Amino acid sequence: MTDKKRLILNLFEMNCVSHITHGLWRLPGNNRERFNDIEYWTELAQLLEHGGFDAVFLADVIGTYDVFRGSAETSIRQGLQIPNNDPSLVVPAMAAVTRHLGFGITFSTTYEPPFAWARRLSTLDHLTKGRVGWNIVTSYLPNAARNFGLDGEVDHDKRYEIADEYMDVLYKLWEGSWDDDAIIGDRTRNVFADPAKIRPIFHDGTYFKVEGPHLPSPSRQRTPVLFSATASGAGTKFAGKHTEVVFTGGPNPAFLQKTIANIRAAAVAAGRRADDVKFITQAGIIVGRTDADARAKRAEYEKLTDPEGYLAHAGLTFDPTAFPPETPLADVVGEDGNVGRRRIFDPAQTVGEFLAGFGDISRQALFATGTPEVVADAIEGWLDDVGIDGINLTQFHSYDTARDFVELVAPVLRQRGRLRTDYDPDESLRDRIFGTGDRLPTRHHAARYRGGAFLGADPRIPHS
Amino acid sequence: MSSVPPARSRPLHFAAFVMNTTGHIIQGTWRRPTARQTDFNDLEHWVSLARTLERGKFDAIFFADVVGLYAPYRGDERKYFEAGLQVPSNDPSVLASAIAYTTEHLGIAYTASILQEHPFNFARRISTLDHATKGRIAWNVVTNYLPNASRNFGLEGLTAHDERYAWADEYVDVTYKLWEGSWEEDALLQDRVTGVHADFAKVHKINHEGPRYKVEGPHLVSPTPQRTPLLFQAGASEAGRTFAAKNAEAVFIQSPNQDAAARDTADIRARAARYGRRPGDLKFFQGLYVVPGSTEAEARRKAAELDEWIDYDGQLSHMSGGIQIDFGHEDLDTPVGDLKTEGVQSIVGWIKDLVPGRPATLRDVAHYTATNSRIVGTPEQIADGLARWQAAGVDGINLVNAEIPGSYEDFVDHVAPVLQRRGLMQSDYTPGTLRHKLFGHGDRLPDRHPAARYRGAFASPIPSAPQPV
Repeated sequence: MTDKKRLILNLFEMNCVSHITHGLWRLPGNNRERFNDIEYWTELAQLLEHGGFDAVFLADVIGTYDVFRGSAETSIRQGLQIPNNDPSLVVPAMAAVTRHLGFGITFSTTYEPPFAWARRLSTLDHLTKGRVGWNIVTSYLPNAARNFGLDGEVDHDKRYEIADEYMDVLYKLWEGSWDDDAIIGDRTRNVFADPAKIRPIFHDGTYFKVEGPHLPSPSRQRTPVLFSATASGAGTKFAGKHTEVVFTGGPNPAFLQKTIANIRAAAVAAGRRADDVKFITQAGIIVGRTDADARAKRAEYEKLTDPEGYLAHAGLTFDPTAFPPETPLADVVGEDGNVGRRRIFDPAQTVGEFLAGFGDISRQALFATGTPEVVADAIEGWLDDVGIDGINLTQFHSYDTARDFVELVAPVLRQRGRLRTDYDPDESLRDRIFGTGDRLPTRHHAARYRGGAFLGADPRIPHS
Repeated sequence: MSSVPPARSRPLHFAAFVMNTTGHIIQGTWRRPTARQTDFNDLEHWVSLARTLERGKFDAIFFADVVGLYAPYRGDERKYFEAGLQVPSNDPSVLASAIAYTTEHLGIAYTASILQEHPFNFARRISTLDHATKGRIAWNVVTNYLPNASRNFGLEGLTAHDERYAWADEYVDVTYKLWEGSWEEDALLQDRVTGVHADFAKVHKINHEGPRYKVEGPHLVSPTPQRTPLLFQAGASEAGRTFAAKNAEAVFIQSPNQDAAARDTADIRARAARYGRRPGDLKFFQGLYVVPGSTEAEARRKAAELDEWIDYDGQLSHMSGGIQIDFGHEDLDTPVGDLKTEGVQSIVGWIKDLVPGRPATLRDVAHYTATNSRIVGTPEQIADGLARWQAAGVDGINLVNAEIPGSYEDFVDHVAPVLQRRGLMQSDYTPGTLRHKLFGHGDRLPDRHPAARYRGAFASPIPSAPQPV
């Protein structure tokens, strides 16, 4: 028998009340309102590690959703990603109560200087002994741009240009600035670190100018595990070059398969191997001991789901609730066909048809509900037929969603050889996902800077 | 010894002055067999130190930080790497949540330069930590004095001194607007029945537009226990003192002696009064370290043994690199009067009067930087010494270490009990936020602080900033 593909299992989280299942924070026993408390995060981390999760994946935005109906009213009323807190700063407390759980932290390359972020991630990689991943985003909210001094969003493709240079700065700091044997710690000779093995990076590019050296010493993974989430043209090229784990989605499995094929091709074009990239997808799972249990749970979730939250989240440029449902969509959408963030405009639809999908909790790329066996069957299908490598589990209820998975689904997956039985002691997040050590493979673009190659020239050396 | 203070005194506040690095203030001592500051990459190192400090009833742990290398010494940066002198160093902010989780009362102060982050995101990080710590976060506001740090953030070199403070003025203004003005007190409803999580009418954009920043808002974080973190500041220059007088609640001073401390504290308190603040609105923390022994002789032996580990070249490099005058080519035993480096006389010339009977040398300067702010003696003698600093107008001590955790374990086990018996250190924590613990007037900034004018301001016109009178 050939080796079965094992599931990469992450919990999809965000440091806020209403992340992606709007209205459900009101469910009895839901802990989401406790997100300001550090104990919310430490209890969650312990539950996930007990259940064998690979990582908690923390989404983030740095603005409000204020396009729908021209204001942030719906978002603020629903707790839709506002208030929200910084994701990176709850990780250390979670790290303190776990030994194996990984952390995927979202951070945008568009608005903040790379030097401080490189240092923060290295600090986290040191503190967690190599359990940190970074979900690279370029930000999509107009309000976020205005929070950082811009009048509006930076053009999509230019954001990826900036991100590409941003990555180069970080690779130089992470991979090139310090050699592995730079720290000597020689108490007798009074030499802590060897200056010959540490160097400035002298990056001087289109968007950034950074001297260096990197301030932290090399951390276990050096470059954290690189996640990104996109399916656009520029995003595909970016992922092919940089990303190790692509967080992807789409309306159906065929779309997913196309994305996967495109990004693998982009990786090969960038000199990497097709399987240097893993794919994870958001997945909704509602499981019960019996089918009736699962149905009852789903009904409870559906009852409290608030479709308006989904409309605001989608950043709709028009208000479909203001028109009779039989109105042709083409009549109410502006001439540019822009209906909102990441929405595909189908001119054949009516407003009512368009609206029907919002707030349907089964409308995610992957969704399964039923008994543990039924759910496990679905997951096996996703792994083998759709071709994904793992999931970001959507939370309907915190912590019930994760607990249900741990108690009901995980044992079945283990029995079927689809989930690790235990953590290997002392492995880094990268090694757990790829099994090839702590560091990026040499064919990754970042590796070219190792040993100080390809760094900038010292501008302080005077011309003769 | 001079007069013994009264048996029961007003307690001093104590912070542990540390940095997420190997060589912070006292260089060379990382080599001592018991020293563990080289473990700074490990979470457990800090968590365990924080627990020790909380056992000893310290008010806070105070993280220094820099975001670049010191200016060249002996022509380059070699010395800093060899000494582990503030490089490698890690981000201090991320330690806070782990420390918060493992302690209940300890305040967590960290240094963050206006250079390194945009104020919108910085304000959010502080608020996140104020939630996580339940109101125990303090921010040490710094500009930046290292040219390499400027060049790490895209600038050609150091920003001019006064311009840095103008920058800092706008930076804190943006954060005050976000912290104090964006969310009204009762904006967060979390009503499960109506499904209303927050009241839209009570969450405001700040629409800041200034010379350097343009920030729309709203703040992304709901009001935290303290809203504005406790504000530390440590500038000794004219512009720095004015900034402290306007903004700081805790001022970190490094006065060379008690007379100077009396002058410094009186000067900044008087400036604060001109901005409508009260003398008691500012607490002054003097940087000091102590070497305790069960007898005076034992303490002196310990101090002498410690001196043998001090890397005097390292001490000088720190000073030299901080002021950008490279006197690294001078021999340590050169009499100060013979030094030729441009500008060095004005920096170290004062030492000539401090060494009686022979010409003072650079080594004396280095020794002075490592030992001037040091009290050596029995716990009783240390208590007497601290009482004298208190009499000079100092409210607290930022306790420097020669080694981690040893310096703090010594203090907690041997000095703190004596201080507590004499009422010079708290014996237990006051419940509540860090601000309330220090000032006893609640969790929030007093109304006379400049940040307070933004409360409720974004639903109506903003009052103008207080002008000096």
